Amino acid sequence: MPGLVSSLDLDECIERLYKRELLPEVTIEALCSKIKELLIKESNVVHISAPVTVVGDIHGQFYDLLEIFRIGGYCPDTNYLFLGDYVDRGLFSVETITLLVCLKLRYPTRIYLIRGNHECRGITQSYGFYTECVRKYGSANVWSYFTDMFDFLTLSVVIDNSIFCVHGGLSPTIHSIDQIKIIDRFREIPHEGPMADLVWSDPEESKPDFSLSPRGAGYTFGLSIVKKFMDRNDINHILRAHQLCQEGYEVLFDDRLSTVWSAPNYCYRCGNLASVLEVGINGERFFNVFDAAPENEEHSQMLVEDPNVATLGLPQPQPVEYFL
Amino acid sequence: MDHITDKENRQGVPVFQTPRNGFAVPSPSQTTRVWTSPDNEWKVTTVKKPILNSSEIDAATEKLGIPIPEMIFGNNQVKIENVPSGLCICFSALDALDLVDKTGSRDGLVKVAYAKEWMDSREKSPHINDDVKGIVKPFDWTYTSAYKGDTTVKGVLADPWVEDKDVILPMELLSRPDPILFFDDVCLYEDELGDNGIANFSVKIRVMPERLLLLSRLFIRVDDVLFRVRDTRIFVEFSQGVLVREYKAHEETYDKVKKRVPIGSQDYSQNLRDSNWVVKNIACSKTVHEIIELRK
Repeated sequence: MPGLVSSLDLDECIERLYKRELLPEVTIEALCSKIKELLIKESNVVHISAPVTVVGDIHGQFYDLLEIFRIGGYCPDTNYLFLGDYVDRGLFSVETITLLVCLKLRYPTRIYLIRGNHECRGITQSYGFYTECVRKYGSANVWSYFTDMFDFLTLSVVIDNSIFCVHGGLSPTIHSIDQIKIIDRFREIPHEGPMADLVWSDPEESKPDFSLSPRGAGYTFGLSIVKKFMDRNDINHILRAHQLCQEGYEVLFDDRLSTVWSAPNYCYRCGNLASVLEVGINGERFFNVFDAAPENEEHSQMLVEDPNVATLGLPQPQPVEYFL
Repeated sequence: MDHITDKENRQGVPVFQTPRNGFAVPSPSQTTRVWTSPDNEWKVTTVKKPILNSSEIDAATEKLGIPIPEMIFGNNQVKIENVPSGLCICFSALDALDLVDKTGSRDGLVKVAYAKEWMDSREKSPHINDDVKGIVKPFDWTYTSAYKGDTTVKGVLADPWVEDKDVILPMELLSRPDPILFFDDVCLYEDELGDNGIANFSVKIRVMPERLLLLSRLFIRVDDVLFRVRDTRIFVEFSQGVLVREYKAHEETYDKVKKRVPIGSQDYSQNLRDSNWVVKNIACSKTVHEIIELRK
């Protein structure tokens, strides 16, 4: 059995990860195997207490994750709930997810990780995580360890019995939170059904009910659905991520639902702000808005010089280019 | 395995500035760049700003009548002007989006790969339909647009382009390593299609001492369904006073393009994300050449 991970090792891993060092492949394998043992014990609906700082999509923007800890406090001094989409698109998905896995193992009741729609095999093959793993480790092994581990991530969290937290949104097959508890979540995210809806669906103000997306799959949900869900489950707010917000967050349906977005200057070119949502002990909510971390600039030259960047769908700011 | 460190600490000039101004406006400040020819006859302007904020998005959504792409660079612009004639060719996101099929009835709606599977499973659970009412306003969510830029003469929209089947772009001249006096790459819009692929519209321009080339490219990949590329090239040979515009539409199924990824490639997804690779490996369904002769 490679590398038993003691808490001492974890501290060393975390220290190295804060410096953006990659851990050896065998360590990743051990960490993923260890975290599965921990995650399997979590329910599909994890109940936690405030105060907690809620974080939206990160998408491999490692330096912006460090900025979150600088602004919001380091683990375990601050409790964290991450709403998913740790990987794909940014340059440092491996470092981002490795750090979060180590923190979860080290402080299991101080940090919670929800599954996002990018935490699956299919999506990560198209949007960069697979490519990054192969490039940084020379094979797809690390990608396999992580994507196997993703199958164990929980689907939702309830804060103080009053705030329901999920990556995407609601599902027409789920009326009561108890119905989430019976989903068999230990699998690849399916294309349809309640598990897919929880990580994929979006709020829509113009339609009060569930509507079908014009793409031919997926739902949007409106005000009357949100009201019904809140009444039936005796909660007073829905908190989710999944959609880019120019201002870093968006509050909809008369303060019944919030989107929190935590990847500033998304894909290193959108110029958007980001936020984390600090939930206080009396349920008060404060969006702590922040901008891109300064280290991104130091590494911007990587974007120019790294031939892999163009194919990750990232900006291609070659000074001049003889395109035809 | 030994401990690995990624390439790091490279020195270089930052390509984007993000002043840490906290709460106020999104950071990358506006950049406007202008090139003017030595005889003042030609002028090229590029404008780059952050994505639209939520009030600008609301206004744009209302004006266009469709949800706008997730990354909307609505204030970006690329402009080529011939000063004496007042001829101007301008590329901007909202004008490009205005040509998207806004009802889905003109070009037909593209469906994601798993749409049938998804709908079938829905129909098997009839009880879920009580809460589900209709489709959110259908439109071409792939954001396909045959936009070739807006042409104006002295500020008035015009169509001075004349189709010319005999004209071709002088690839030999354009392949020469002439000095590049001005280059820019400006994104107009991008959407991840709800993680079902990508639609990316961007405009590149390079100016050499005797000529310029602009490439406006809309690259669309719907995972496991199709690829579309819409390329508009504008070529100007300064001394001749002739502008050539070439429009090419490419489209093929995802599988056909994927089969052309070289055997042995460890990661085909890299090829399928690279518009330069895709455009070389996809059938062209339409080509139109047009010219403007300024001295006629």
